[in-house]
Amino acid sequence: MKFLIAEDETALQQSIVSYLERDANICEVASDYKEASYKVSLYDYDVVILDINLNTGSGLDVLKLLKKEKKNAAVIIISANNSLDDKLEGLDLGADDYITKPFHLAELNSRINAVLRRGKFGGKETITFNEIKIDTRSHTAYVNEKMITLTRKEYDLLLFFVTNQGRVLSKEIIAEHLWGDHSDLVDNFDFIYVHINNLRKKLTEKGSKYIKTVYGTGYKFIAE
Amino acid sequence: MGKQKKTQLLREASTTFLGISAVLMIAGTVILYFYTKSLLGEEVEEDLYSTESRIENSLQNNNAPFSLFPAMEAKKASELLQSSLKDTVIYDPYQEEEELFRELITYKNINGSFYKITVRNLVVESNEILVGIVITYFFIFSTAFLFLFYFNNKRNKKLWAPFFKNLEEIKNFSITSSIPPHFEESHILEFTELNKQISLLMNKVKDDYENLKQFTEDVSHEIQTPLAIMQAKIENLINEQGITEMEYEQFSSIQKDIQRLKQFNKRLTLLTKIDNNQFILTENVNINKAVQKNIEDFKELSPTKIEFYSDNELMAIMDPYLSEILCTNLVSNAIKHTKSDEPIKIAIQGNVLTVSNYGQNALKYPAKLFQRFYREAKNVQSSGLGLAIVKKICDLYGFSTDYDFQENRHIFKITFINARL
Repeated sequence: MKFLIAEDETALQQSIVSYLERDANICEVASDYKEASYKVSLYDYDVVILDINLNTGSGLDVLKLLKKEKKNAAVIIISANNSLDDKLEGLDLGADDYITKPFHLAELNSRINAVLRRGKFGGKETITFNEIKIDTRSHTAYVNEKMITLTRKEYDLLLFFVTNQGRVLSKEIIAEHLWGDHSDLVDNFDFIYVHINNLRKKLTEKGSKYIKTVYGTGYKFIAE
Repeated sequence: MGKQKKTQLLREASTTFLGISAVLMIAGTVILYFYTKSLLGEEVEEDLYSTESRIENSLQNNNAPFSLFPAMEAKKASELLQSSLKDTVIYDPYQEEEELFRELITYKNINGSFYKITVRNLVVESNEILVGIVITYFFIFSTAFLFLFYFNNKRNKKLWAPFFKNLEEIKNFSITSSIPPHFEESHILEFTELNKQISLLMNKVKDDYENLKQFTEDVSHEIQTPLAIMQAKIENLINEQGITEMEYEQFSSIQKDIQRLKQFNKRLTLLTKIDNNQFILTENVNINKAVQKNIEDFKELSPTKIEFYSDNELMAIMDPYLSEILCTNLVSNAIKHTKSDEPIKIAIQGNVLTVSNYGQNALKYPAKLFQRFYREAKNVQSSGLGLAIVKKICDLYGFSTDYDFQENRHIFKITFINARL
């Protein structure tokens, strides 16, 4: 996949690049409005990650340009502004998703994957990981073509693991993905263990042992 | 001072006018009555004396004594007595009724003989004149008074009109409104000065408010990018090879703190947004459903049992997003502060929503409960903004918030004033 990361904060930009490059993606960067509009009009990208508040202009204008030139790139807007107006305007202009700073890279990654799965980008609505198959339309999971019964949270967890396979996911990242704003209520994270252990049990029963505990409290979904 | 009954300015002015006029009118009438009465009395007496001297004169000219009852009588007397002037009632055969007369009796020695001269004058006549004068006076005064009252009132109204208009303008002043207040011009110097000073004050308050708002907005906005960088860097770090378990624990703990800052920031922004009146959407929100959704959400988050009891459907007119926040904050506050084996109880009865949780002791300072950053339980992690947001939302819609402690339970009560049952 080819990415353009238009973000004027270089530190954040580079962090996104290193996270995405682990999946053998090609990442280009733009650090201001001019560079971003220049690159989107000249090259084709699969995904454009667009900061609204670019140094010399608005990311929304870059988005307009993209749509004007009829580029078939998935656009995910990132913004420090949690305002609904910005969000709606971005989505109206044709952005595919919107994420507010600060966000977890794993969360960004799972949003990117979700956007790419949509038919518009020629993606499939099923994700396969060895013997595991996830149907994102019907929210069901299969191991060796046999459906496994998962709760809503377990399903979300499995999808999150598979899209961020090979990465260390701390309990904080997982909690925020599953519960968003409520996650600060999960003080001792006992509840995460319950959900992860249930999922792990259901997968292990079918012979899929991919959820590994790392560093005592973190998790990694990986095929040895 | 505060309890003192307030009177309207114009009413006060007309009451004063009415009062003074009434006193003047009554006093004037009384004085006029007595003055006229004494004048008339003097006139009658003068008349009596003058008639008496004419009779005396006629007797001196050797005319025979004569009578014209009851107006005058002159007859011989045996001795000289003290003269007297008094009121007397005499039966008048011509009128066939008793009449009040003023009577002057004098005794005179004329040409060696003693005479008793009696002169009388009808008093009724003068009394009627008196009453006539008083009534006329009263009528003139009343008419003048009514006209004065009417014109005075009208003039007052016109004079104070700019004042009242500007008062309305001040009443409608909203710190969040972008429309500047418009003050009616007046040729009265004091009014113009008042307007000027109030305009100055309003602008100052508005500027301060704007600055504060802008500051809060800027701060929470500016914090977000560094937080995002920190979070992203940590996420890449924990994915590096060769970090130790201890280092991982540290990173994980930093992630938790970033999360706290993020939540804090979000709540602060929410408070600012409510302050900015950015929630203008009002819908008929089903509070029962909002509570139920909350219970479902929290089921996956906390082992604490939540019991929900409702008498009726509670519909409140408010922003649906804020209704969610309101319920969430109340429930999460209860979950944070309860013991895990004690259930949270939520009830909807009439237009009242109560959320209660177990507690060992009542709060020491319940009045501070809804203040920003007030935390009574130091061991519980909280942003200190949850209940402040609840209060803010309730204030926005005029709902009332109450706290009570009964039978080892902290009880939070929200009364949805505009609710439809």
